Amino acid sequence: MWRYVRLYAYFLRFSMSKAMEFRVDFFFRILMDSVFYLISLGFFGILFQHTSALAGWNLDQVLIFISSLFFLDAVHMTLVANNYWAFPDLVNQGKLDYYLIRPVAPLFFLTLREFAANSFLNLFIAIGILAWSFVRYPGELGMGPIALHVVLLLVGVYLHTLLYLIFLIPVFWLQHAEGSRSLFFGIELLAERPHRIYQGALKRLLLSVIPFAVLISLPTYLLFEGATLTGLGHIALVTAGLTVATYLFWRIGLRAYSSASS
Amino acid sequence: MIEVDGLSKTFRVHKKAPGFRASVRALFRRNWTEKAAVRDVSFRIDEGEIVGLVGANGAGKTTLVKMLSGVIHPSSGDAHVLGYRPWERDDRFRSQMALIMGQKASLWWDLPAGDGFLLLREIYRIPDDRFQANLDELSEMLDVRDLLDIQVRRLSLGERMKMELIAALLHTPRVVYLDEPTIGLDLSAQRAIREFILTYRERHRPAMIVTSHYMDDIERLCERIMILRDGEMVYDGSRDRILSEYAGHKILIAHLRSEPTSEALTALRAHGEILAHDDVTVRLEVARTAVAAAAAALLERLSVADLTIEEVGIGSIIERLQTREPSA
Repeated sequence: MWRYVRLYAYFLRFSMSKAMEFRVDFFFRILMDSVFYLISLGFFGILFQHTSALAGWNLDQVLIFISSLFFLDAVHMTLVANNYWAFPDLVNQGKLDYYLIRPVAPLFFLTLREFAANSFLNLFIAIGILAWSFVRYPGELGMGPIALHVVLLLVGVYLHTLLYLIFLIPVFWLQHAEGSRSLFFGIELLAERPHRIYQGALKRLLLSVIPFAVLISLPTYLLFEGATLTGLGHIALVTAGLTVATYLFWRIGLRAYSSASS
Repeated sequence: MIEVDGLSKTFRVHKKAPGFRASVRALFRRNWTEKAAVRDVSFRIDEGEIVGLVGANGAGKTTLVKMLSGVIHPSSGDAHVLGYRPWERDDRFRSQMALIMGQKASLWWDLPAGDGFLLLREIYRIPDDRFQANLDELSEMLDVRDLLDIQVRRLSLGERMKMELIAALLHTPRVVYLDEPTIGLDLSAQRAIREFILTYRERHRPAMIVTSHYMDDIERLCERIMILRDGEMVYDGSRDRILSEYAGHKILIAHLRSEPTSEALTALRAHGEILAHDDVTVRLEVARTAVAAAAAALLERLSVADLTIEEVGIGSIIERLQTREPSA
């Protein structure tokens, strides 16, 4: 375990050194994410000019939900996004070879090797917005539930990473990942709305098989309505199931890996 | 150390005729075909051996090396390297093995090689004192001690290859696969890499498989040679046995005073194969038993200023074995 922490410290050091060399990209990423935050906040601001509640939430509650989304997105962009962006090329160009021969879990390398130093500042902005949404909330949330919410959001980051990987693994057979990646981004939009706006089979699907509702929406409901054993058990079960399913799918994908000719 | 038993690898490839229509047709109906990259290959390699794995492009060399390093799964057959099935990717196997690919970089492009080596120290859990001793030894042998702090992308191709070698050998692997280690390098860099490999082998005695298109690499590095043709092993034996078994010919080179006539060339073909000719030279390959008769015919039919008789080089024999059975 500590070995992986030390390895990650190297990744951090190397990624920081690299990022400093590309200043324009460094500042552009900050601008890009700030625009995303403003548009998302503005969208819900406009929505609440026409309604007083959305899926049972008032504006203050929706702000916590949307701030939680920013937090998850910023963590993903900082730790994982760059790595997964390069994943299809690694498979197609045979660059996965060196990850497979090292005595380290290849998924650790593939998921965390590149730390996006240029997104790191945005993570602080996202944490700031999340803290602001808690502080301005008129009701009493309590430190315990807030801490649990943050933990559940980190579980959400983990689930998001697994879900994204599941949509990238088909590159082992398809050679291209644009289609499956776009599909992931399309479905991911469903996670950006409270899941109670959905009905029937779609809602059940989002809470189980493709658990995008478990990333942010369910933890936010648990924050406002109180964490129940059923709710937490559900998240634990989905996390365990998705971990096993992703790992098995990854193993099957690796069997199909053909590298690239020299 | 390396035991391979009936290893095969078949790839399923999609064939498509050129043109837009064929592209549309292929969208709905794929024409799949099976390509056998490696067919039923068996061999054994012991500690300290350097084996040259040669073959034409597409013969299956890299595929075989990738199966033995655990990068890809075989379609059938079995192999054990250091007692492990490579494609099961046991950490104990991966800690004792190295793969160096001349055409792919493993080091971080934007960082000094020295930083990459620190990461590898952690990956392979190399104790600090052993890491420093190995780094000193390897950088000394390759004469790159002064380049460790320079970004990899600023190094020349030869210097980068030397850094890749250090990266691969820092953990003192017991099995080393070198896939085209000298590709693209100038002659002096090729020589330096070859000398390094030989010295390293003497000191550490790993089992090594070297693939290369450069016959100089194979001739100078490997006592044992394996030749693949269309995925099949057509030769596995010592370098010297190739000469005794397959060098049944000699080359007669005649330097001429005047251009050879077509009649003279036709007559010479009765004695052997004309490999090349121009206004001033004729190269004739003949069976060892027919050398005297062929030389006499050359002197009789052509105006010869000088005549030399050469042995067929091991490289030529290997090149022939890669593509067709050599005439004995």
